[in-house]
Amino acid sequence: MSSAISVRHLTKDFRIGMRGLKLRAVDDLSLEIPRGQVFGLLGPNGCGKSTTLKIVLGLVSATAGEISILGQPSATSAARRRTGFLPEAPYFHKFLTGRELVRYCAQLSGVASADLDAAVEDALGLAAMTEAASRPIGTYSKGMLQRIGFAQAVVHDPELVILDEPTAGVDPVGSAAIGRMIHAMRDKGKTIVLCSHLLGQVEQVCDRVAIMDRGKLVLEGAVDDVLARRDRHVMTIEAMTPASRAAAEAALEAHGAKVTSVTHPRRSLEDLFRELVTGSRDA
Amino acid sequence: MPDMKDSLRRTLWISRVTFLEAVRQRFFAFLLVLGAAMVLSSVSLRVFDFGHGELKFIADFGFGGMFFFGSVLAVVMTAQLFFSEIDNKTALTLLAKPLSRAEFLLGKFFGAWAVLGVFIVVLAGLQGIVLWAREQELIALAEQSGKIPATFSVVGLGQLVLMQWLRLGVVIAIVLAISALARTFLFAVVVGSLAVVAGQLQWIAQDAFLRPTDSPVYAAFLWVSTRLIPNLQQFNLADALVLGSSAVEDGALIAVGLSGLAYLVAYLTVGALIFRRREI
Repeated sequence: MSSAISVRHLTKDFRIGMRGLKLRAVDDLSLEIPRGQVFGLLGPNGCGKSTTLKIVLGLVSATAGEISILGQPSATSAARRRTGFLPEAPYFHKFLTGRELVRYCAQLSGVASADLDAAVEDALGLAAMTEAASRPIGTYSKGMLQRIGFAQAVVHDPELVILDEPTAGVDPVGSAAIGRMIHAMRDKGKTIVLCSHLLGQVEQVCDRVAIMDRGKLVLEGAVDDVLARRDRHVMTIEAMTPASRAAAEAALEAHGAKVTSVTHPRRSLEDLFRELVTGSRDA
Repeated sequence: MPDMKDSLRRTLWISRVTFLEAVRQRFFAFLLVLGAAMVLSSVSLRVFDFGHGELKFIADFGFGGMFFFGSVLAVVMTAQLFFSEIDNKTALTLLAKPLSRAEFLLGKFFGAWAVLGVFIVVLAGLQGIVLWAREQELIALAEQSGKIPATFSVVGLGQLVLMQWLRLGVVIAIVLAISALARTFLFAVVVGSLAVVAGQLQWIAQDAFLRPTDSPVYAAFLWVSTRLIPNLQQFNLADALVLGSSAVEDGALIAVGLSGLAYLVAYLTVGALIFRRREI
């Protein structure tokens, strides 16, 4: 089976200024994104990740290289029919209600008239936007905008969903909701490509990651593989006394191991926030 | 054929949302109210008729407002509707769907054209009522004085509405072609406005082109100008159509209509070709 996205030797140069100076945004990038996984494309601002996604979607032309989506050349109508996209900081027509927007996007994505109502309600349900769907988009909070953007991206049941900074500007509760939506899509067998510089969130939701810097790919692999330090181990111990600690250290040293640090485990500030702030005020 | 049908549907959905967005803007309501105020005030300002017939003054004043504000609306609203979606990334969301750029551009065109259609029908309808009411008063006076006033033609008003709608369609197509190329809203509005002014003055270039000249460069410039820029004055037939001040042959109307349609299609094609290559 072909990859969800296959990028081969992609290069993109922008011409800037009156003299047409060349700015290389993507430099000979090759990448295979497997199907059925959540793939994180990471990198600092201006590293070329958004440009790469735009080229994949046919919104920007490549200077060189080949791209295919789900085995078809990218930027074709057939490829787009199987792809959903949520741009960074999306903006939608404020006078439409959430339901009207999702319906409009479903129509543009080729959802058959007979399936339209069910598809719209399913997408709204997945994005937890059913209750607010009858309100004009102009009244939505940032988190709700992202969620309605997610709903329009998945309303035509695409095989590949591309999310550009889906949690930018969203509070941790909203972020967690988007994380759940991403997992729900993966559980349905979809491929999700997530472009972000929020590393904590990427670590939580992604199966694989690629890191770009200055237009080049600097690392790619499964999250567990790239993060794990195989020469170090962590043990979590309850009710440890000074005596038991000394005995454990002596036992480990007797077998050639060395304890380098003993600390209390910490939960993340995000976990603490989500624990204290239950539920979303968006709904 | 199913592809063609799908394409038409997508274009229709884009134009529907474009229309809704435009009519909910304050700018549209503002110009509509301003145009209506101009039409209604033409009755009370008819004392300043500069020696022309009353109905002619009322028609000139009211239709003048409709032409002017219609042109402003066509230039500013079209540029705004096109740019806002690119600027705020709504276009990214839409163009990532199985929607071609030509469909997007055509959807914008038909949405804006429909808004201008509403604008013209409302103002022309109002102008028609004003002219008809004043005509009735003048007929009553004429019966007493023995003078015969100019007559107001409803059919002529309908033809004028179609001509003006076509004229504004050409303006929208030109502004879309300019917007497809432009990088800023201001550029699109300024160049679009200049194009409208050039179109209004195109007859001068046509006149000059018909006169003999020794300079081949000047002749070539005039030849290109008269073909690139549509003659927007040819649509201004208010007096002739509405008040019957001079006869307009059906053939002439058809020729003006076909010329307008040819420019409209040509500029839309140019706009679609430019927008196809644009990186957003």
